[in-house]
Amino acid sequence: MKTSWRSIGVVSLLLAGSLPGLVRAAAEPRLALPEFKDLAGKATESVVITMDPSLLGMAARFMDSSNAEDAAAIAVIKGLQGIYVRSFTFDRDDVYRPADVDAIRRQLADPAWKRVVETHSKKTHADVDIYLMTDGDKVRGLALIASEPRSLTIVNIVGAIDLDKLRKLEGQFGLPKIDIDSSKN
Amino acid sequence: MSDDLENRLTQALKPVAPREEFSARLLERVAAEARPQTATPKSRPRRTMPTWWLPAGLAASLLLAVGVRHHAAESQERLAGLAARQQVFAALALTNQKLDLAVRTVQSESRAAP
Repeated sequence: MKTSWRSIGVVSLLLAGSLPGLVRAAAEPRLALPEFKDLAGKATESVVITMDPSLLGMAARFMDSSNAEDAAAIAVIKGLQGIYVRSFTFDRDDVYRPADVDAIRRQLADPAWKRVVETHSKKTHADVDIYLMTDGDKVRGLALIASEPRSLTIVNIVGAIDLDKLRKLEGQFGLPKIDIDSSKN
Repeated sequence: MSDDLENRLTQALKPVAPREEFSARLLERVAAEARPQTATPKSRPRRTMPTWWLPAGLAASLLLAVGVRHHAAESQERLAGLAARQQVFAALALTNQKLDLAVRTVQSESRAAP
C-alpha cells in the first residue's frame, strides 16, 4: 500500500511537471518587438510604426475608396489586426549585430511559424527571411526580417494578409516601380 | 467810527433763535424729501431686462463652447486619421520593398546558378 501511494505521488509529480508544456499557449501572430533604442540612437533614419486594430480602423476611415491608391491599401489592410515595423538605416556597414534580432528569431522558432522564404545575396550581402503563420489555408500573420549591411528592417503583420494584393501595391505610394526582371543584385 | 462799525457787525451777526414755525417747516421739508426715495420704485418702475435673457445667454454660451470643443476634437481626429493613413502607406511600402528585395535576390541567384 505504501508503495502504491509513492507511485501515485511520483506520477502526480511527473504530470505536474509536464503541465506547462501541455497547456502552453498557442503562439500568437503578434511578435514582441523590442524598442531597439540602442539601434535607433545609432541610425541615420528610423522608422517605427505601431498600428493596432483601432489605428488601422482609423486609417481606413480616412481613406477614399474612389482613389486607386487608397482602394488598394484598403483591400490589403482589410482583415488585418496590426502592422508593426522597425526599420533602421545606418551611414556605415555593420553597425548592428545579428544578436540584435535574436529575441525575434527565438519567437519565430515556434513551430507555428514557417519560414517560407530565405534569401541571401552574395553580391549585396542582403538577407531576407519571410515567415508565415497559417491556420490551414488562412494566413494569420507575417514576419519579415531584412538585414542589409547598412539597414535592418523587421515587419510583423498580424491578420489575414494577402501577399498578392500587397505585391500589387508595387509602384504606388509614390515609390518607383521596381523591375524584378532586372539583375541589380 | 470803527467801534460803531464793529458794534453793528456784532449785532448783525449775533446768533438768533429761529422762529417757531421754522423748525416745523424744516421738518416738513425733510420728510417731504425723504418720501420720494421710497416712493420712486412704485411710482416710476425701473427698466429691467427681459426674464429670458439669462437662460438664453447661458444656453448660447454653452452651445458655443460645445461647438468649439466639437470642432477641436474633430480637427484632432482628422489629423490623427491622416497620420494613421500615412503610416499604413509607409508600412506597406516598406514591406513591399523588402519583398521585392527577396524576389530580386532569388531571381539573381537562380540565374547565377549553373
